[in-house]
Amino acid sequence: MVLLLAFASGAAAEASSGIEPEDLARLPIEELMNIEVSTASRFTQKTSEAPSATSIITAADIKAYGYRTLADVLRSVRGFYTSYDRNYEYLGVRGFNRPGDYLSRILLLVDGYRVNETFYDAAAIGTDFFLDVDLIDRVEIVRGPGSSVYGSNAFFGVINVITKRGKDYDGVEASGELAGFGTDKERLTIGRQQKNGLEWMVSGTRYDRKGPNLYYPQFDSPANPHGIAQGLDYDRNHSVYGKASYGGFTLVGAYSDRIKGIPTASYGTVFNDPRSLTTESQTMLDLKYYRAMGENLDVSTHAYYGGYFYHGIYPYTQSVNKDQSWAQWWGMDFKAAGHYGRHRLVLGGEYQDNFRQQLNNSDLAPWVVYTDIRRNSFRYGFYAQDEIGLVHGLLLNAGLRFDHYSTSGDALNPRLGLIWNPWENTALKLLYGTAFRAPNLYELNTAVGSAGKPSPGLKPEKITSYEFIVEHYFQPDFRLTLDLYRNEIGSLIDLSTDPADGKQIFINRRGLVETEGAELELERQWRGGGRLRASYAWQNTRDEGSGKLLSNSPVHMAKLNLSQPVWEEKLRAGLELQYTDSRKTLKGETTGGYLLTNLTLLSGQLVPGLEISASLYNLFDRHYALPVGEELVQDAIIQDGRSFRIKWVYRF
Amino acid sequence: MFRKLARFLPFILAVAQAEGASPSEYEVKAAFIHNFAKFVQWPMSSGSNTLRLCIVGDNPFANALEVIRDQAIDGKHWEFQFLRTPQNLDRCQVAFISVSETGKLNAIVESLGGKPVLTIGDGEGFAERGLIINFYLENQKVRFEINPNAARRAGLAISSQLLKLARIVTVGEER
Repeated sequence: MVLLLAFASGAAAEASSGIEPEDLARLPIEELMNIEVSTASRFTQKTSEAPSATSIITAADIKAYGYRTLADVLRSVRGFYTSYDRNYEYLGVRGFNRPGDYLSRILLLVDGYRVNETFYDAAAIGTDFFLDVDLIDRVEIVRGPGSSVYGSNAFFGVINVITKRGKDYDGVEASGELAGFGTDKERLTIGRQQKNGLEWMVSGTRYDRKGPNLYYPQFDSPANPHGIAQGLDYDRNHSVYGKASYGGFTLVGAYSDRIKGIPTASYGTVFNDPRSLTTESQTMLDLKYYRAMGENLDVSTHAYYGGYFYHGIYPYTQSVNKDQSWAQWWGMDFKAAGHYGRHRLVLGGEYQDNFRQQLNNSDLAPWVVYTDIRRNSFRYGFYAQDEIGLVHGLLLNAGLRFDHYSTSGDALNPRLGLIWNPWENTALKLLYGTAFRAPNLYELNTAVGSAGKPSPGLKPEKITSYEFIVEHYFQPDFRLTLDLYRNEIGSLIDLSTDPADGKQIFINRRGLVETEGAELELERQWRGGGRLRASYAWQNTRDEGSGKLLSNSPVHMAKLNLSQPVWEEKLRAGLELQYTDSRKTLKGETTGGYLLTNLTLLSGQLVPGLEISASLYNLFDRHYALPVGEELVQDAIIQDGRSFRIKWVYRF
Repeated sequence: MFRKLARFLPFILAVAQAEGASPSEYEVKAAFIHNFAKFVQWPMSSGSNTLRLCIVGDNPFANALEVIRDQAIDGKHWEFQFLRTPQNLDRCQVAFISVSETGKLNAIVESLGGKPVLTIGDGEGFAERGLIINFYLENQKVRFEINPNAARRAGLAISSQLLKLARIVTVGEER
């Protein structure tokens, strides 16, 4: 409270700048060109005509709230929550997050490139995400089934990351961070827009976190003195990213690798064994071409390559197990968007060749190979979407996509949206759509360890969603959103046991999982640069058969983000509050609800080009634990307490 | 928990009400628009005693247009019109095209044909795509680009004083 008062008095003590708004119009253009403006005061994009409930997080938010990973960004958005098991970050959307779901039910795009790899179909949002969040211009979070345009994985929604460009830097930017738990991070970015039209940037980041020693009472025994995993929560990442565009062409390349220690003795491994770790590396190369053909037609096409490699070391008392998988793929897509009379038509198609999908699981000494799978597969799809202005203020958005997977067959997914603007400032949206997730290679070919067997007959999971949204703009920068929805998920892919031989196998579950939810969000921006986003989300996710609430599914969530200059343009404060309700664990226990508070102070340019920020995460040192998957003995994993970060960014 | 949050809220809202110091982006842009109009010559006088500025699409100005509300050019005061959809743009002397209209830009340029409307864009590449003037930001400062071909098509004469401050966009052939 004291802090908030300080915050408030700081805001009140603002001095006025030299120019009064009324004088602006009398200034000559040369002088107007020299005024530094506050650009915060607008929504990046009007979403009232989008056929979905969309949230946008900008680079300004990432700075103001001290976000370190994409998981930090997504956690701040209404209806989204994360779990962390000290190996990976998992994303829950609208009350749904299955154990062991490596983010295959959400599609993550970076400038149109599909990040989900082709073995587990997983998208990484933690320190294993290949892009440094500092390079993000904005993140658009589109809720609801997106398969009618994007195909598989766009199950609960699509997260579209748009990166910064060379001209956003126009020079060199260096950044350094020091943070709690022995963390440091450095970044160097160079970007330019040249006179000849060539625009380019390159960036490299190094991240190193030593991590705390962690106590797990489950392992407290004479053999494991005090149950402490020592120095095993380390996390190291390197990433490079480059982009060049000329004319209508853009070439993007990225590489990242991460190595993460495992302090939790997952999969029954030896506790506190320093050999436990996983590494992931990702490579991407994407060539894009965009062209406006004549007045009414825009066409774009991509050709891309993606590579993913994972290996994990799992030490057991008798042996050491090495788990490895590789995925390599290339693909092409095209899209044409045209405007004809009252129609806005989009047509597109894509083809992807997953030419390497390989998994190898073996013990190192003595050498035993349990699984050695080498596969390849392909998929293609095409879609059409039309937006028709029916009568004044009424829009119909209809889309349909056909997909073929060489592994699981065909899928057809429609989407219908009716958008009505009864008044200038109000939009009502009625949406219907379906989406699917094709079984991934892991599910088709293997279940954990030697106790499993392939599951060749798996069908895609399906979701059908109904949504009603009211958006009202009290002012152009003051929006209230009410969102009611119902999700019906069928043929869910789940691990089971074959009664015939007792082996583990993946099956399509019978019956539905149903979610009913309501979300209310208020967003406001002020002329002086203040920004507020507050939301409450209620979601009830139940298994139709048993009628029981799903595990890892909080019923209530409330969030508040407030960013405000507290001392002219010299200092901005960003306050974040996140309340997440209790969640059921796999063993039927519950983790307690918690309120997290994060605070970031961000300086303006104290010295030209220099910005400094200081953040405190989990300000009140709230002790909380999150449910984790069955590969852990622990039912829930305790999360970090209070920690700090100091960051500087210098541009020259 | 909610009771706790409710106790915080009044403070938070009070903080949020306070306003910052430097002029907002759109106050400055409004002042630019006023200046542009001074440096552009329309082929014939409309006869009315106002200058009509149309804001097309999403209105990003909020109260920022107050900056120029009482200003006049050659005795003509500004009159603001907010158009949800880009229709009847030829009745405007100046049309500000909001970034929300990105998808409709080609249709807007086409519908205007050679009508003498000073189009001012607020989105990336809007001048390349046929608007006469387009705003962009550089280091938190407002900049603008001019597409002289588009001005010629509209029959508007732009003063060289304005042209020399602008980034010139040369795409868009004369038809």
